[in-house]
Amino acid sequence: MHRLYNSVEPRVMDEDMLKLAVGEQGPKEEAGQLARQEGILFKDVLSLRLDFQNILRIDSLWQFENLRKLQLDNNIIEKIEGLEHLVHLVWLDLSFNNIEAIEGLDTLVNLEDLSLFNNRISKIDSLDALVKLQVLSLGNNQIGNMMNIIYLRRFKDLRTLSLSGNPIAELEDYKMFICAHLPDLVYLDFHRIDDHMKELAESKHQYSMDELKHRENLIQAQLDDERAQQEELEKHKAAFVEHLNSPFLFDSMYAEDVEGNKLASLPGVSELLQAYKDKFVTICLNIFEYGLKQQEKRKLELDTFNECVQEAIQENQEQGKRRIAKFEEKHLLSLNAIRDESDLINIEVKILEYSEDITELFNVLMTLEMQLVEQLEETINMFERNIIDLVALFIENVQSLMAQCRDLENHHHEKLLEISINTLEKILKGELDEDLPDDLRALFVDKDTIVNAVGASHDIHLLKIDNREDELVTRTNSWCAHLVDTIHKNEMMRNRGRVKEISQYIDHMQNELDSLECSDVID
Amino acid sequence: MEVLKEKVEEEEEAEREEAAERGKKMMRPVEMRREEPPMTQEMLRDLEKKLSEIEIVIPEQPSIITKDTIDISKLPLSYQSNTLKEEHLLEVADNFARQYSHLCPDRVPLFLHPLNECGVPKFVSTTIRPTLMPYPELYNWDSCAQFVSDFLSMVPLPDPLQPPSHLYSSTTVLKHQKGNCFDFSTLLCSMLIGAGYDAYCVNGYGSQDLCHMDLTRDVCPLTMKHKEVVQEEEKVPPKKYTIKPPRDLNSRFEQEQEMKKQEELQGEEERRRKEEEQRLLEVEKAKTDPLHGLRVHSWVLVLSGKREMPESFYIDPFTARSYSTQDDHFLGIESLWNHKNYWVNMQDCWNGCKDLVFDLGDPVRWEYLLLGTDKAPLSVAEEEDDTMNDDDNDDVENLGKEDEDKSFDMASSWVEQIEISPEAFETRCPNGKKVIQYKRAKLEKWAPYLNSNGLVCRLTTYEDLECTMTLEIKEWFQNREDTLQLRHINKSTGLNIDYFKPGHPQALRVHAYKSMQPEMDRVMEFYETARVDGLIKREETPKTMTEYYRGRSDFLSYRHVDFGDRVKKLALNSAESNPRPMVKITERFSRNPEKPADEDVAERVFLIPEERTQLRYHCRDDHITASRREFLRRTEVDSKGNKIIMTPDMCINFEVEPVEHTKKLLYQYEAMMKLKNEEKLSRHQAWESELEVLEILKLREEEEGAHTLTISIYDTKRNEKSKEYREAMEHVMHEEHLRQVEAQLDYLAPFLAPFPPGEKLTHWQAVQVRDECLSDFKQRLIDKANLIQARFEKETQELQKQQQWYQENQVTLTAEDKAWYLSYYSQAVFRMRILEQRLNRHRELAPLKYLALEEKLHKDPRLVEFLEVFI
Repeated sequence: MHRLYNSVEPRVMDEDMLKLAVGEQGPKEEAGQLARQEGILFKDVLSLRLDFQNILRIDSLWQFENLRKLQLDNNIIEKIEGLEHLVHLVWLDLSFNNIEAIEGLDTLVNLEDLSLFNNRISKIDSLDALVKLQVLSLGNNQIGNMMNIIYLRRFKDLRTLSLSGNPIAELEDYKMFICAHLPDLVYLDFHRIDDHMKELAESKHQYSMDELKHRENLIQAQLDDERAQQEELEKHKAAFVEHLNSPFLFDSMYAEDVEGNKLASLPGVSELLQAYKDKFVTICLNIFEYGLKQQEKRKLELDTFNECVQEAIQENQEQGKRRIAKFEEKHLLSLNAIRDESDLINIEVKILEYSEDITELFNVLMTLEMQLVEQLEETINMFERNIIDLVALFIENVQSLMAQCRDLENHHHEKLLEISINTLEKILKGELDEDLPDDLRALFVDKDTIVNAVGASHDIHLLKIDNREDELVTRTNSWCAHLVDTIHKNEMMRNRGRVKEISQYIDHMQNELDSLECSDVID
Repeated sequence: MEVLKEKVEEEEEAEREEAAERGKKMMRPVEMRREEPPMTQEMLRDLEKKLSEIEIVIPEQPSIITKDTIDISKLPLSYQSNTLKEEHLLEVADNFARQYSHLCPDRVPLFLHPLNECGVPKFVSTTIRPTLMPYPELYNWDSCAQFVSDFLSMVPLPDPLQPPSHLYSSTTVLKHQKGNCFDFSTLLCSMLIGAGYDAYCVNGYGSQDLCHMDLTRDVCPLTMKHKEVVQEEEKVPPKKYTIKPPRDLNSRFEQEQEMKKQEELQGEEERRRKEEEQRLLEVEKAKTDPLHGLRVHSWVLVLSGKREMPESFYIDPFTARSYSTQDDHFLGIESLWNHKNYWVNMQDCWNGCKDLVFDLGDPVRWEYLLLGTDKAPLSVAEEEDDTMNDDDNDDVENLGKEDEDKSFDMASSWVEQIEISPEAFETRCPNGKKVIQYKRAKLEKWAPYLNSNGLVCRLTTYEDLECTMTLEIKEWFQNREDTLQLRHINKSTGLNIDYFKPGHPQALRVHAYKSMQPEMDRVMEFYETARVDGLIKREETPKTMTEYYRGRSDFLSYRHVDFGDRVKKLALNSAESNPRPMVKITERFSRNPEKPADEDVAERVFLIPEERTQLRYHCRDDHITASRREFLRRTEVDSKGNKIIMTPDMCINFEVEPVEHTKKLLYQYEAMMKLKNEEKLSRHQAWESELEVLEILKLREEEEGAHTLTISIYDTKRNEKSKEYREAMEHVMHEEHLRQVEAQLDYLAPFLAPFPPGEKLTHWQAVQVRDECLSDFKQRLIDKANLIQARFEKETQELQKQQQWYQENQVTLTAEDKAWYLSYYSQAVFRMRILEQRLNRHRELAPLKYLALEEKLHKDPRLVEFLEVFI
């Protein structure tokens, strides 16, 4: 089965070999003459055949960026490699080689037909990137485990599969198992699967299939869930208020607050803390809702703006197109007239007239464009003002809500301080009844310590709140700046593109006229 | 018959003379009603007398249904006599009429109980027989009226100034398919009431046009163009960021001045047009009718309320048109009735019917004949309101009161159930044909299948009022196999337009042409979904052909071919054998969303003689210019004598965004080769299109020639196949029946013949009959056996003779004779064997048959009693 590649000299895939192949397989006859005249660039080649070349290692293919079909069959390749750049590849033939593992195909997302017939592969894997796979040929390999079939379930477009000549093909249940597990398959080992067979297989493997499907569904549902959550979070992030609909911020305030946590076990503090938390979360929720609402508003504003701008541009384009169409109609006539005219003076006159027409068209088109630029600039400025106002309002309101948070924190702090000092006094007087944890008791040494501890907790809290606020403000502002910037940039690009287009067109027209003049002079 | 006719004419003569006198009398009430007579009464009477005399001279068409054409004896009893209740009703009516003439001496006598076809007076309300027709088409008033107007042919009143003396039943009228306006409205009223409308027969006065069913001054409803409802586009309020329009630099003052000038011009134009219209109207206006306001007419009034009718209106039963109650054609109402009651109009009709209030419950306006009507009086406050809607309210309020306090209710109708056979319903018009003359138009209608080419309706429009210059003809067809539906012939332009229903073998939808010759101006439209190539429309002129496509996989949407002059050939010079050379093919494609715009061809022009190909690509979404490419195929030879395959100047490129690979000669060469093939293909397709046109024309000609009609498989009468099948079935049934009759053949009949029928046989006679019968049968059996024997012998003799002849001439015989003899021999032997078998069988069966007959005779009811005794 395996050729003894020792007996033949392995060849290297080099430039010469590829050139030869390209030249041989390139266009024939008249086209071939032209091709030879001009030379063929590797990147223009769509199909390449390199069979029976004794290639040991795939190499030097990086230039063939547009290759659609590649045949490397009947070589002595041992490893799939060097195909990373051939992203447009649709058809890949690696049959009759010495490949032992499937690998190096992760970039070939367009691959539809893959042949690995007669190799030494024992496991089907590393094909995840090949979402469009339709035909898979894995015959005459060493696949021995039925579980490889389950891996193939992920290819929704797979219609043809060949696995004959593998150890699993010897198994009694081989066909049934495949039919049951790949119900969309049409051809197996180059035979059409009939409906009767499918039914039989289905009934035979119903239990295991059901289980499998159930598991797959569960996984799918989980994935969907995660995706939905992710999307939700993205949406919140776009509104700059992520996590504010939960006690996340409050929890984060206490996450690094050692003293605060210790103090929480003081008598009376837990109730205080609970009330504080409730109020705090309510304000957070307010911020969250307000943020979403503002996000909607901004989106609406942006959509209206985009729509209007698009309309304006479309209208302008239509006008331009009409002008050009009109011109072209006239142009055809006048070109013919000039060609037919025999009188030199008349030709001169007509050419002059024509070039005037061209100039006029240029002027008209440029005027249109300038007009549009002016109009758009005005609109963009208006939009800029509005969006900045909106953002400012949003920030202001959020800041005021945040200030409420801070007030709450201050209030809480005072209360806590009061309780702490009271407790300290009690401890100093020895009146305290309850037992306090040791680490907490350590804080109640003197007034400074306890005040410092409470103060530290307070500082941490304030810091957290400030950080969140800062983050929100910075992100909002940067979003706004970025948006405005992008709009300006896009408009500039559009303007440049249009001006370039117009001048290119006018140049072309002028050139045509010039060439006519030249030929006339020559004539 | 001749004599009868003369008699009738004599009678009519007498009637006419009477009419003159009556005319004089009639004038009086009219004068009274007109409050402001323009002239003195003397003068008026004089003038009108003269006029009425003139009128008399006009010969009247004799009424075609006369008493004599109706076979009275076959009519049911209710037609020939009156029941007690009807007698009573007639008395009530007479009483009412007496009181009425006493109270209103200057009004015409009421139309209460004309004679029916049997000469029996019948009250008009009982002549109405509410009937709901079993045809769903006749459920609505418009189709009902159309049916009545189509089904009956109109006969003018014997005396245009007086209601007829006879009012026939609707069944008789339907049978004869003709009638006067009273017959029309009675039938229509019966049908409308049956269908649930609040309909009334009206006896009143109408205009001349109305009474004579003269539509020549009306515009045909079919010629009226539907006013297109202009949908005003909703103006979208400018959005927040809509760009401001560029500043308008034109002077507003100048614009205003311009506008003013325009308006003035338009006003001038308008005025001139109005004057023109006025003038035309004057011309068209008919001369005034001397008997205006006196012509008696009958029509149908439908009151609002029932069947969700929002407004009351009149239906003229002659033309099936609906008129508003304010219409000028209706000049006055004497009385009206339905199947329940009779009302006399007490309102003044000086202004036609314009001021009439149809509140039948108001005793001041409408005098009713029978008490206890379902129309309660309006309240006094509402009396001033002339709106018709008041009736609705009253109806609802008085629903409960309807039944109470009925002193006498209307007798039930004496008329038989109105029936229309499906055949008559389909044929509709008398003899299936009807012609209506409109103003500048003539409408002809035929029953389906009457014309062999399926023509059912033809509308001819004329240019002038006298209908001499044809403007256009529209013909409607039905049940044609080529699905032709409408043909529109414009005489002034010579343009014919055929419209087809879906289902034509070539999916033809519209075919507009001036002549059926190929290569002329024509437009064909197709049902593109029924065609593989998605062709919508093909326009042809002598030099061009334009095709429009939709929904093709190659996105072709338009192809225009310019033809050059045909190269003269000596051989056959038809379009098929010698197609015209194509000069230019222009093809347009819609955008293929799968290709980038720069590679998606929008327009392709092949200039065939110049070998030039122009391509224009689609425009990108954000661009205003599109790529273009022009190929010029030239075959040149370079200095060394080699063929130049491709040079850069053979391809002129303009690319919106220059790409490297298109600059290459190889690319251009390949593109050019591809175009070469495509050009060939396009030429071929254009040629095929030409062929198709020829084919369609040929097909159309054949179809026109054959004009076969399709027959629905459900149409059992016309469908030949089903008819044949049915007839075959009937035939089989008939034969079966015959056989049964034969089986019951009376074997005793010849023997019983000598004895008188009905009389009982004596014992001796019975025995004699039996014996005779048996002996006769025996004789027949023997005869049969002898016959078979004789035939057998004859056959044997013949065979022997042939055998002898054969043996004698065996040596000299030709092969043919030999073969003939052999075949004869085998056949003869066969025949003999059969005869032998038959004889044997007969011998076996004869005794059995004999016994069976004897047994049968024993049991025969005519003989049994005597024979039993004997046994």
